[in-house]
Amino acid sequence: MSNILSLRYSARTIGYGAVGVLALTYIGLIAVVMSYAALTVEFTQSVRNDEAAVARLESQYLNTVSQISNTDYASVGYTKPLSKTFVTTKSATALR
Amino acid sequence: MRAQFRSRIRLVLLGIVVVALLIIVRLYFVQIINGADYSEKADRQFASGGSGLFDRGSIYFTRKDGTLISAATLVSGFLVAINPQTIRNPDDAYRAIARVASSSLSYDSFMAATKKTSRVYVEVAHHLSNEQGRALAAENIPGIQVLKERWRYYPGGTLASQTIGIVSYGSGDDLSGRTGLEKTYDNVLSRSGDLLYKNFFAQLFSNIGDLLVNSRDAREGDIITTIEPEVQTRLADDIAKVNKDYSSKESGGIIMDPSTGEIIAIAGYPTYDANNLQSVDPVVLSNPLVERVHEFGSIAKPLTMAAGLDAGVITPETTYKDTGCITVNKATICNWDLKARGVIPMKQVIIQSLNVGASWIATQLGQDRFRTYFMKLLGDKTGVDLPSEGRSLMSNLTKPQQVGYDTASFGQGIAVTPMQMLRAEGALANGGTMVVPHLVRAIRLNTGIERPLDWSTAVPVYSAAAARNTAAMMTEMVDTKLAGGKAKIPSMSVAAKTGTAQLTDGHGGYYKDRFFHSFVGFFPSYAPRFIILLYTNGPRGVEYASETLDSTFLDLVHFLIDYYAVPPDRGPSTEASGVTTQNP
Repeated sequence: MSNILSLRYSARTIGYGAVGVLALTYIGLIAVVMSYAALTVEFTQSVRNDEAAVARLESQYLNTVSQISNTDYASVGYTKPLSKTFVTTKSATALR
Repeated sequence: MRAQFRSRIRLVLLGIVVVALLIIVRLYFVQIINGADYSEKADRQFASGGSGLFDRGSIYFTRKDGTLISAATLVSGFLVAINPQTIRNPDDAYRAIARVASSSLSYDSFMAATKKTSRVYVEVAHHLSNEQGRALAAENIPGIQVLKERWRYYPGGTLASQTIGIVSYGSGDDLSGRTGLEKTYDNVLSRSGDLLYKNFFAQLFSNIGDLLVNSRDAREGDIITTIEPEVQTRLADDIAKVNKDYSSKESGGIIMDPSTGEIIAIAGYPTYDANNLQSVDPVVLSNPLVERVHEFGSIAKPLTMAAGLDAGVITPETTYKDTGCITVNKATICNWDLKARGVIPMKQVIIQSLNVGASWIATQLGQDRFRTYFMKLLGDKTGVDLPSEGRSLMSNLTKPQQVGYDTASFGQGIAVTPMQMLRAEGALANGGTMVVPHLVRAIRLNTGIERPLDWSTAVPVYSAAAARNTAAMMTEMVDTKLAGGKAKIPSMSVAAKTGTAQLTDGHGGYYKDRFFHSFVGFFPSYAPRFIILLYTNGPRGVEYASETLDSTFLDLVHFLIDYYAVPPDRGPSTEASGVTTQNP
């Protein structure tokens, strides 16, 4: 049996085969890395686009806060109270 | 036959080995020698060839519920570049660009760019939206390139812009933080590139140490500030209103948590829109609240009072004879109304803001003790995390003339930054201990880990009793004097002090009709959650700070009570009806 093996697969042949397999494996790994890189770039770009969209929403939020803060309440129909009433505040736990 | 077959097999194997070797060599060059270039190309297929896409960490505001809101972030879009050598019809090209980006390109500047025929790449428009960029790219105009770009964007525009800072080119080609937090935390916010994708195998061959433990990951990140955006908006609006109402030279304000030093809002006016720097006066880029010094006037009196109480030279019950004016080293020091009060207790020095009384306390303290207290309070930089912090001017306290100490006791003759004054007054609100005012509470690293910053350094100045007794006097001032007594909030104790200082004329004297108004206050008086410092420089048509800053301070107090639902610390007894009505 061992004779047959040694006849069919000499050490040199096995060596060549191993080099071929390693080369193919390496090429496969490169393909994986390249795919990984492409996906990473794509996802990162997607995240950044989303971040930019969020930034614009945040800008709208801050503008709205500023508009509310700057609103002249008299101009929208509110008047100053005739008197202010201070009442004892109940604790937050009592309200639950 | 067999030998022939073997030789063929060997030939084929040799071919495979040679091809494999060629591939390995080629991959070595692709991944290791030129890996960075290819990753760059992959990252930005649309990007210009001159430099990589700009990358930088974000700066966040923190809402009261912990939500993070961007104060500075990145947005991406497109730029338009032309090749003057290949552009065929400049007028058509301009019309095409103007159709999608009318506001970002003038006809004259575009035509000037097309005449630079010695060049092959001239950028003519920036900051186009994704839709605009794609629309222009779809037209395929010869000589026009539409390229991806990313830029710094400040969602708040003017909001805290002097504190957040700006990013710009310095002497080199790198965009980096130039002012504000952008500068202080530049090493955290700046990015060294290659973050988009890391080639594991290339790193395995070339730099395994960097792959396992990346020093950048321990340094680079986003910064999370203590600024609350809604409080910041309110303060900024109020400060702008004061400045406009009184045509002041400048105004500013800070709101801080006196127990931790967290700055909740900080605003100066005039300010600028960080997204539009083209027509900004460079002077307003600096932060006046940490860089400029002023004589603050009578808000220094509580510091003098607490020093006297802490040293034991006075008690709250101590009396002195107020003569209205005194002469010290041939200089005359008078009360604001020139009137004498006779024999009165210490609290009246705060309630009526008496210069003669503050001078009397300074005299009781003696020069050495007075200097020790004031140098501890105001002599050092605060350590706030903003660049270019100013130094106080305290030289009057190094001279033997008593008049320098007397004037310093009511805030004249010494000049400090608003941040220094806030930190010192914070000692009265924090049991006699000063904290480090700061704007950034944590750094969120790229790994996702949030690393809190340590701001726990505290400087004890007064005893808790001295601080509390002084706070009581300031509270009585609010309850009885401020806005004629109408400012009193029955359910909340508020401690405050106004300050009106004459402005220096630049020739060793003071203007008679130009003033610096300041206001400091904190609440609840005996367990404060907020301390507020306001100032306005050179208001027109008014003399006293009580006229300019009272309503601003009270507006902020009421806003903060409502917004944070600060529970009452005094007020209507539960035994009675629990209701107090007050006419506004």
